[in-house]
Amino acid sequence: MKSINKLFIPLLLLVAVAGCKKNYLDRPSKSQIASNNFYKTTKEIRLATASLYAGPANFQWHHESLLQFGDVLSGNGTTGQYNGSDNNELFAVNLSASNGIVNRGWTGLYILIGQCNSTILGIQQYAPATVPETDKNAAIAEARFIRGYAYFNLVLHWGAVPIIEDNSKLIEQPLLNRIIVPDVYKFVTNDLTYAVENLPATDVAGRVTTWSAQGMLSKVYLTMAGLGGNGTRNQAYLDSAKKYAGNVCKNSGKTLFPNYYDLFKAQNNDVPEVLFAFQWQAGVGFGGGNTWNNYAPNVSLMPKKVGAWASLHPTIDLFLLYSENDTIRRKATFMVNGDYFPELDAANGGYNYKSTAPTLKKHVIGNDVDNSSPLMDLWSSPEHDAVLRLADVYLIYAEAIMGSNTTTSDPDALLYYNKVRTRAGVDPVSTITLDELINERRIELAFEGQYWGDMVRLFYWKPAKALSIINAQNRAFFDYANGVATPDPNGPVVTVLPATASSFTLQMPAAELTANPKLADAPVKYY
Amino acid sequence: MYSTKTIRLRLMLLWGIFPLLLLSVPAFSQTEKISGTIINQRNSAPVPGATITLKGTERFTVADEAGKFSIDASAGQVLIVTIIGYTKQEIVIGKRKSIVVKLSEVALQLDDVVVIGYGRAKRKDLTGGISSVSGSELRKTSPTTFDQALQGKVGGVAVQQISGQPGGGVSIQIHGTSSISSSNSPLYVIDGVIIPPTNNPGNGSNPLNAINPSEIESIDVLKDASATAIYGSQATNGVIVITTKRGSVAAPQISYDGYYGVQKLPKKLPTVNLQQLASFINDRAAVWTFDERPEFANPKYLGTGTDWQKELFRTAPMQNHSLTINGGDARTQYLFSLGYFDQEGIALGSDFKRYSVRLNLDNKTTDWLKVGTSLQLANVVENVNSSSASVISSALWLTPNVPVKNVDGTWGGVTNNDGWVQPVVNPVAMALINKNMNYRYQIFGNAYAEINFTKNLSLRNEVSGNFDFSSNEAFRPQTTFGKYTTPDPTISLYSSGQNIYTVIRNYLTYNKSFGKNNLNVLLGHESNMSKSANVFASRSDFPSSNVQSISSGDPSTARNNGAYGDGASRSFFGRINYNWLDKYLFTANLRNDGSDKFPANDRWAFTYSGAFAWKINNEQFLQNVTAINELKLRLGYGLTNNQNIPSNRYVTQLTTVATGLSGTAQYQSNLANPNIKWEQTKNTNIGLDGAFFNWRLNFSVDVYDRHTDRLLLNLPLPAYSGTTAGWSPGAMQAPIVNVGSMSNKGIDIRVGTTNISNKNFSWKTDITVSHNINKVLYLGAGGADASIVSRNSKTVVGQPIGSFFGYIYDGIFATADDFKSHALPADQAGNPRPIANAQGGIWYGDRMYKDLNGDGIIDTRDQTFLGSPQPKFQFGFNNSFNYKGFDLNIFFSGNVGSKVYNELPVNQLNPLNNTNYFTGILNYAKTALIDPAGDKNDFNNVYVTNPNTTVMGLRNDVTNENLRFTNLFLEDASFIRCKNITIGYNLPQNILAKAHIYSLRLYANVSNAFTITKYTGMDPEVGSWNPLEAGYDGGYYPQSRVFTFGVNVKLTK
Repeated sequence: MKSINKLFIPLLLLVAVAGCKKNYLDRPSKSQIASNNFYKTTKEIRLATASLYAGPANFQWHHESLLQFGDVLSGNGTTGQYNGSDNNELFAVNLSASNGIVNRGWTGLYILIGQCNSTILGIQQYAPATVPETDKNAAIAEARFIRGYAYFNLVLHWGAVPIIEDNSKLIEQPLLNRIIVPDVYKFVTNDLTYAVENLPATDVAGRVTTWSAQGMLSKVYLTMAGLGGNGTRNQAYLDSAKKYAGNVCKNSGKTLFPNYYDLFKAQNNDVPEVLFAFQWQAGVGFGGGNTWNNYAPNVSLMPKKVGAWASLHPTIDLFLLYSENDTIRRKATFMVNGDYFPELDAANGGYNYKSTAPTLKKHVIGNDVDNSSPLMDLWSSPEHDAVLRLADVYLIYAEAIMGSNTTTSDPDALLYYNKVRTRAGVDPVSTITLDELINERRIELAFEGQYWGDMVRLFYWKPAKALSIINAQNRAFFDYANGVATPDPNGPVVTVLPATASSFTLQMPAAELTANPKLADAPVKYY
Repeated sequence: MYSTKTIRLRLMLLWGIFPLLLLSVPAFSQTEKISGTIINQRNSAPVPGATITLKGTERFTVADEAGKFSIDASAGQVLIVTIIGYTKQEIVIGKRKSIVVKLSEVALQLDDVVVIGYGRAKRKDLTGGISSVSGSELRKTSPTTFDQALQGKVGGVAVQQISGQPGGGVSIQIHGTSSISSSNSPLYVIDGVIIPPTNNPGNGSNPLNAINPSEIESIDVLKDASATAIYGSQATNGVIVITTKRGSVAAPQISYDGYYGVQKLPKKLPTVNLQQLASFINDRAAVWTFDERPEFANPKYLGTGTDWQKELFRTAPMQNHSLTINGGDARTQYLFSLGYFDQEGIALGSDFKRYSVRLNLDNKTTDWLKVGTSLQLANVVENVNSSSASVISSALWLTPNVPVKNVDGTWGGVTNNDGWVQPVVNPVAMALINKNMNYRYQIFGNAYAEINFTKNLSLRNEVSGNFDFSSNEAFRPQTTFGKYTTPDPTISLYSSGQNIYTVIRNYLTYNKSFGKNNLNVLLGHESNMSKSANVFASRSDFPSSNVQSISSGDPSTARNNGAYGDGASRSFFGRINYNWLDKYLFTANLRNDGSDKFPANDRWAFTYSGAFAWKINNEQFLQNVTAINELKLRLGYGLTNNQNIPSNRYVTQLTTVATGLSGTAQYQSNLANPNIKWEQTKNTNIGLDGAFFNWRLNFSVDVYDRHTDRLLLNLPLPAYSGTTAGWSPGAMQAPIVNVGSMSNKGIDIRVGTTNISNKNFSWKTDITVSHNINKVLYLGAGGADASIVSRNSKTVVGQPIGSFFGYIYDGIFATADDFKSHALPADQAGNPRPIANAQGGIWYGDRMYKDLNGDGIIDTRDQTFLGSPQPKFQFGFNNSFNYKGFDLNIFFSGNVGSKVYNELPVNQLNPLNNTNYFTGILNYAKTALIDPAGDKNDFNNVYVTNPNTTVMGLRNDVTNENLRFTNLFLEDASFIRCKNITIGYNLPQNILAKAHIYSLRLYANVSNAFTITKYTGMDPEVGSWNPLEAGYDGGYYPQSRVFTFGVNVKLTK
């Protein structure tokens, strides 16, 4: 009996060991989907591309740098001392290599690129034949459109930059050279051309279409046209810009939203005028949402009455551009003493702006009750702020027609240029000068992160003019009371340095140069 | 018919509930009574407490306080006398009814049994590098957790405190840093229960803090491959085997250990007082031409203001009580222990409580079956509020003009409305009104059955598990401090998680002696499985701080989250030990491990090692050399594998995020590397152990060379990769990559001497010294350019891992000549910035940097390696003295050659900073004019009156980037710390015997008594979980100085 017992227990154990399944070591995650099990249907592919429109992928670029580059660096306004020396350096056009906003803008755009790349490769690698080819290509086109947008911003701000199409290749070869500016532009146009050809003409609101791609491509061609132009622009690129912009103007079937002021309300997210907008969602917490409502001047305009740390004040330079009857755009862009906003803090009878220091209105959409958005919090405004609007494309069209000239009376240019003006309630014009066009864009697109890009575009072919515009600005804040604007007698909050040619190319982040000293080498060709 | 065995098996099931049921095994009575006395052979003093067993029976007794015993036996039978610390004796009973047994004390540790992994061996028969520390040695510092106490006790083991928070984390590295992906923490095995290495437990909380140090019998540290290989894939960084106390064949014994202590902050940092602050702000306003503050107009009429360090830190009590009952008979041995530990932190908002119960049982069920369990239940309650709310840095940032509380009873805060004056939370308020509690219920359990098929062959089956149930409760009321209101509305957060790690292992052991030879063979199988699950929930908008449960918040603000995880590995292993003539010892290990963390085609890895030991003292030619008691040479070589990476990183993982486009979207949260392979470490070790002069001098030296290939790393790539190894919102997690090779070479030495030993007085000294050289050998295809940058640490080929990288500080611009002799920083276009007393210019009082590449400008190419945070030497120095009943122990530990970046003064000595300052700020660079009537903007007319200062001038401009990472704040963090002084007194036996007390010791102890160092921060010991960015002192929770008084009591019968 003893010996039987002795054998019995180990036998049981042997059974237990043998009972371990062969796939004992296969442990796919139970909390996350693995890419090799995804992209199996059109719906799954669309879920993957949806993440490129908003959320963590866009957060750093949007939260940290988009407005800071587009409007603070270019002299439209600033938050004053709030953001500390980083923000002040931008406003003073005096950047150090360790500037955090520059650093995070760079990081943010490459984060977005990494997500686009992985999505493109994931679809190419894992989508089965059962997914229709057009759906596959349309999804890849969405990702390439957004990647094109990101590289366009990189080349616009930093000039020569590294190009990455497959992030996993960095595992083997992490140290890249910068690519010469023309090749980065070529890469951008390749992406956007693919998007033009493969995106559908219509889709659900918020998704990009071929019109979005054509609009974006026209802006890129227009920008490229000036590269190294020394007073003239490249006509072939101007023709391309004109072709795509004209196509959007005439054939897209889209029209301007009738009311400029209402265009920036969250309830009018993704109206047909909007060709591409970030698709923010409320309630996502820090790191994945639209934080711009924090520019509100008062916590009563904030969900749960928190946040609103930094009101953004316009400069007198911007304010003086608005003509007497350009009030709709002024009031949609910034608040001045005496303004009343019935839709903001509506539960308490609307918001009266009583301070004499004007402050940003655009992107300030009020609190959670105003927007019927209980999940809205200080980190997540439901506003889908536009990256590309039809009005922008109209102005690009006019600029492309003007080409290397500084004035135009072309009827097509006037037609679309005046549509923008008429909608804003200002008088139409019969000729357009380059200066007027620049100012029209500055007013129409103020605080949408555009003006610095316009200045770089100008700098490409008329560097002296771009420098003189920046250096002639009076970046002082102003007091506004009883219809009178008085600039701050002390001048701007920080001393603005005279911009130099080098100001139009941002510095490579110092940390990035430390990590990859090859970035300091001369850029190389990509093609 | 039920056999006795079956009944006993059933009884076993009841153990958990009625542990003491089996204790009363009656002694049989027959034949005649034999009585005796047990004395110490050396000094003839009685030896109380020895166990006397009648050989071949279950009959036993225990000697009383006077060493006397009596037992029923008959002539010709054999008595076995055993007691810890003495050699076992067998006495044949003759005709005498009364006998005297003389026991000789065990000479040192040679007969000690050491845990070698799936078995035990006598220390003298070891072939591998294993060091041991006894529980009593460990407890001398009154540690909160056992890992803290290992510091300086074991050669080759680098122990660094990461946080002085009660129960806080400790980093332990054995024989250097061989891994860069993880903490390099060793594998912990507690009574067979594996605690997988933890990477970063966060919040300074320590996963090992549930273990009560009072219950530890011994700790064995397995250092070289020949010792660790049997543990396979998790053991690359060494193994720490913890054995808890167990019952023994002895009468029941009740012991109580308790102490009470007070902890104090050892050092305060030199922050300015109110008068100093006011005069500095006034000086600065004069230069800035703004920021004049009327309230500071007359500094001398101001008081000293709030001393925030004084407000935050307190003298905090700690206490520990531990009650143990143990005993047993020849069949069943038991140990039952209760522990309670309560420590308040020296910073407000931190404390730690531990309640623990342990039950260890061994039962020899039949002559062929032995079963037993080790079970520990622990409940840990930690208040981690002070760490999570960063109150220590807030206390250093808040200026002395801010009161703790305003006159109206509200919390004080920064009220200055100027945008540049940063609001800082009130740390006292944050510590007191916020809540952040960790609750942990942990069960370590191990059950085994051991079957002896024959005398030589046995099978052991074990099931063990670590069941960890934890929750976190946090409540943060929205509070206003002056102009600052905390950004989130009042929020309550709750998270709950479970981590379950189970192991099943079975192994056969064959042991055979023939002549002077001995063969031991082991064959086994092991399966590990880990499962985890957690949920998180929160709501905001609470009507009152009195009700904090989630359900009282606004439902529309509800958030939740949750995840599951699991992992598995399985292994087959074998070992052969062969001892030839008791002179030549051979060991060979082989293990095959499979892990789920690698792609299916590359899951399995072999680990192997071999070792040889030569007992030189047993050779003929040393037989007559009486001065040598032991001399042993050990050689070992092995290859071990490491898999310590997160699961599923060989595929891209998609995470659900919300968008306004489709509700949800799938976002890629990591950059996959489909080619991840096991990390391999080749380990060569040569050791020499010796003992001389009647064991009065003994030593152990190990020289090792560890070479790691295919280093697994969460690879920090440039930002253009869209990935991050740290924190960067939206970035993908960096890929895990087999990135390169690294070597660790070093030596560790332990020397123990008995300097004086006589009847009344003894003095013993122990010294450990460890020296390790770490060098990166290869970092992938990038060659010499390849680097891993993490914060300001750079890892490159040819340098130690994580070396500091930055600029060389070269004084401040103080004279016109300085502008000629030093390069200026460059603008975007690479042109030097102008020399100007205006925005965008470089001016007097700015810091100068060395232009290392000589190109005439300062830019990122002027950075260089500035030193390593890794200590060159670590040592421990212990002296213990005994005089009659008194004992005194003094223990020093230290580091030599480590560098620490002292981050606090970087900001607190920065005149542009708008939080608080250190007093050094008053020595800012002061400019003066050579010709007072001349131009103050002419650089030839200006000079600095205190040119030797390191603090910048007051100009409101950052063009020079004065805060660049330089060697200025990189300090030598070498230190010698008097870790512990203990004085104890054992009450004499004759007094105790009357009270039926077996022993009673009273002691007093000072931990961290003093530290000798040049380091100017709070504590030079700055541990880190991440070797790529170690050595940054950003205001850690400092280790406290502790005074304790304690008592150890043992009662018998």
